Amino acid sequence: MTQVKETAKNEVQRELEMYFGPQHLGMVGNFSITLTVQGDRIVKAAANPGYLHRGFEKLMEYRTWIQNFPLVCRVNVVEPDHMEMIYSMAVEKLAGIEVPERGHYVRSIYLELARVGSHLFGLWAYANMLGFDTVAQWAMYHRDLILDLFEALTGGRVYHIYIWPGGVRRDFPKGFKDKIVSTLHQIGGCVPDYDDTFFKNRLFYDRAHGIGKLTAEKAQRLGATGQTLRATGMKYDIRKVEPYAAYDTVEWEVPTRTDGDAYSRIWVVRDEMIESVHMIFKLLEGMPEGPVFNRPPNPLRWNIPSGEAYVRCESSRGELGCYIVSDGGDKPYRVHFRTPSYPHGLTILEDVLVDASVADVGNTMISLYVVAPEIDR
Amino acid sequence: MNETLKKELQSTFNGVEIVDIHETRTAIIVPSVSVPVVLRKLKESGLNRLSLLSCVDWIGDGKFEIVYILTSYMQNDDEYTPNDEWHVFLKTKIPRDHASLKSAIDIFENAEPYEREIHELFGVHFDGHPRLTPLFLTQKYEVPPFRKDFDTRQYVKDTYDAIPMVED
Repeated sequence: MTQVKETAKNEVQRELEMYFGPQHLGMVGNFSITLTVQGDRIVKAAANPGYLHRGFEKLMEYRTWIQNFPLVCRVNVVEPDHMEMIYSMAVEKLAGIEVPERGHYVRSIYLELARVGSHLFGLWAYANMLGFDTVAQWAMYHRDLILDLFEALTGGRVYHIYIWPGGVRRDFPKGFKDKIVSTLHQIGGCVPDYDDTFFKNRLFYDRAHGIGKLTAEKAQRLGATGQTLRATGMKYDIRKVEPYAAYDTVEWEVPTRTDGDAYSRIWVVRDEMIESVHMIFKLLEGMPEGPVFNRPPNPLRWNIPSGEAYVRCESSRGELGCYIVSDGGDKPYRVHFRTPSYPHGLTILEDVLVDASVADVGNTMISLYVVAPEIDR
Repeated sequence: MNETLKKELQSTFNGVEIVDIHETRTAIIVPSVSVPVVLRKLKESGLNRLSLLSCVDWIGDGKFEIVYILTSYMQNDDEYTPNDEWHVFLKTKIPRDHASLKSAIDIFENAEPYEREIHELFGVHFDGHPRLTPLFLTQKYEVPPFRKDFDTRQYVKDTYDAIPMVED
């Protein structure tokens, strides 16, 4: 690519092809983008996923319905909990298993904790990338507090396999509710500090305002969901559109912004975290007594009737879906995950990078909340 | 499913079969040649979003089933309607040998990476796709790896057992 073009100033600028990632300071995760640049302007961008392709969907065809859990939660490294949820929902739909009412509440609380944890991780990545190291360290510390909660509840810090078809593996341990409340108060007490140093910081505003701008029409055309869509003004949230777990039992708001740029997206994330915390308090209050688990049949001899299902939930990045086909056997016949980073990292990223500056590539990518393992599967 | 749309689809296009899977999920099975026109019709009638494009290898029948999962964004800006939950699985079967289908990019722009993925993992050719280049894989396989006749166990054995141990 050495096509020579003349600029308005009559300077000769060559078009160059440049590899951005996977080994690059501005790149988070196993991902790369091939940029065609002219000076500092990007003429064309082509996303290259595949660095973490493990063929999980194929491997799942060789394992029984329950054996698949360790694979499923590794599809998205940052938030495995929603992956467990979506797979459990799909199996429940096919097998016709009901979840007890308390199980729904426990699931919702657990998933909202996961959302806050995942957003804090995202905040770490974004703040770190832009050089706000203090904020990044705070976010990582606060995420660790959430991981402590998960450890107390499930025994695992990152991968939990807590949600099973039929509910959750076990009920909250004694005193766990108080632990959740005190941890969330501790994190919530730092919101003014986060605002002062990051969200309302002029430096951050100047860096993120107008970056990776999307209109509502374009976001919809390219298949956006989650913050990417909500930052353009649309109140589209699967927890409201197609409620699952216990999300329809409490009152809550869907935060939106209207500018559609990186600054709006990160503000939607901030407001969503606060909304999640309020939601957890409400769910804890309204939680009924009773069992949390309808035990499924012996997992070693569990054949699920043939059929197909598409289920979806709102992960912290957008719509997470699972298309699953059973042929009546003890293993899935075909599984296909619709992950939110797939359209965000491939279709939308390639589109919004055109005409951007090379310095804004990492900024745009993280603001779109792209997690590479989710694309590759 | 909306009864008028059901009747309209069945009267306009030949060989359309409609099955309700769940309350909010409907399968529409069409011959492969009518996929673009039916997709366009469904998009016009409100299913303006392609959620997922998938492929199932029914090796026993010698067919690939291509599944377009369509739904809509919210129809009202502030209100959630039961219609927003509704999904349509538009399905078509194509023969496994020389599998090919017309690309849907001109109808749903976000179909591009999905078609690329299915081309790579199942070996289905999409006519009119601007770049059917590899998406995930670094090498070519004789049998595309997501087909049912690709033996994963044998592949692992051949690939990894062939690596010699480090000698003392």
